[in-house]
Amino acid sequence: MTESGLPTSEHLEHLDTDTIADLIENLLPAPEAHRAREHVKACPECQQTYDALVKLSEDLAEEGRADIPMPTDVAEHLDAVIVSESVLRASTVGVHSLAQIREEPRRHLPKLLGAAAGVVLIAAIGVGVVFATKDNANEGAASTDQNSPPADAVTITTNDLGPQIQQWLEHNPGAIMHGSAAEQACARTFASGRPNPNVRLVQPAKIDGKRATIIGLQGGSPRDIQVFAVTGCSEPGGVASPFYDTTVTLRNR
Amino acid sequence: MTAHLDSGDQPPRPDVPRIDAGEPVTQAAHTGAPTSYDQLDDHELLRMHVAGNPDSFGFLVKRHRDRMWAVAIRTLGEPEEAADALQEAFISAFRRADSFRGDAKVTTWLHRIVVNACLDRIRRRQVRAADPLPEDEDRAAELAGPSEEDPAEVRERRLDVLNALKQINEDQRAALVLVDMEGYSIEEAAAILDCAPGTVKSRCARGRAKLLPLLRHWQTTRASDVPEESAAEAVGTE
Ligand SMILES: [Zn+2]
Repeated sequence: MTESGLPTSEHLEHLDTDTIADLIENLLPAPEAHRAREHVKACPECQQTYDALVKLSEDLAEEGRADIPMPTDVAEHLDAVIVSESVLRASTVGVHSLAQIREEPRRHLPKLLGAAAGVVLIAAIGVGVVFATKDNANEGAASTDQNSPPADAVTITTNDLGPQIQQWLEHNPGAIMHGSAAEQACARTFASGRPNPNVRLVQPAKIDGKRATIIGLQGGSPRDIQVFAVTGCSEPGGVASPFYDTTVTLRNR
Repeated sequence: MTAHLDSGDQPPRPDVPRIDAGEPVTQAAHTGAPTSYDQLDDHELLRMHVAGNPDSFGFLVKRHRDRMWAVAIRTLGEPEEAADALQEAFISAFRRADSFRGDAKVTTWLHRIVVNACLDRIRRRQVRAADPLPEDEDRAAELAGPSEEDPAEVRERRLDVLNALKQINEDQRAALVLVDMEGYSIEEAAAILDCAPGTVKSRCARGRAKLLPLLRHWQTTRASDVPEESAAEAVGTE
């Protein structure tokens, strides 16, 4: 142990791991740091600990660069919370139940799946509540030809939206694409983010008094059409913001 | 190795936080068609969110949730806590997205919100003091991620680190996760943790000293995987 020629006192006691870790972080006072450094140089055992601590930092860094897949139940709950947050933001009335669900203490994660479904359900009810109040403003006033939509904006209420679109699509087997190229592009961008991005209908509209765009997407089956009423697509460079959605089932396919 | 003797603060690693976490495979699988949300970058998704798009923030969350989950579970140790912290963090990010400065990376911004949400929980937990979290052994396997996603040794190492981190003091753990695992500089970590840089260094040093015996077998295994870096066997090197 004394072949390095250093005083034997440097070798009497090994450094503890804390001291070596402090040495690496430059936390030791100068004289102590000097002694510790000399000891590490001369002592294979402490050098090994020193190297292992340095290696530990490197290994932690490498491990830290790896993602960890979020458990499915946590991910689903998180998705539902974000959806509810979106609904909350889009709505003009407070939906207090959403906040309550979010704050509710959860004992076990496996229950989250049920909680997530609850949020989605209430989120859907939230939309219904909001638009039920708006529907009172403007009754009736559908277009004259019930079988095909006009090339320009159709005036309609959300109440009539589902039946009207059903009628249009039952009489028009192909896609109905109305509105400016920009409005159609906006609708396609919106569609591309949905599970079924196949656009069957783009129709400028005035819904409950406000300028909107109706978008119909092929649903899970060829007979099902998912209908969205969105704002934002009528403005240049706008982004679709849905405020109503429903699903219609075509009878003749 | 001896170069570290006099090294001061580690420079921030340019690759952290990561931004390349892709959309989960499941998303693309059932749509069939390419979705244009996937092609939009983080800034664009956030801009659309601020402009009122109801879906773009959800895509942002999906894109980065595995990265943020890693941060939360390492910092907090418990899946329940991590899930709650992430939920708080993402809601907070959702609501104050308009305060995001466009010159920063969205991931850096999100990362910081997640870290702060985790630290808030640690502080609240410390105030509650004698309120030890229950062990949840059943979750251990799931924490390592779905078995089909990563090789067994990756999952095993991940679990080893998570379990070892859980055994050290949470102040030390938070500092170590920030500095060693997430690549924040000592100064950045000090600002986030609201303490002096020397305190961060000290917590990191003591944390490493405690982790070392807990992860030594892990290091040795890895050292044999990579012979040119076999630090564990390198006795008496300069
Ligand atoms: Zn020694």
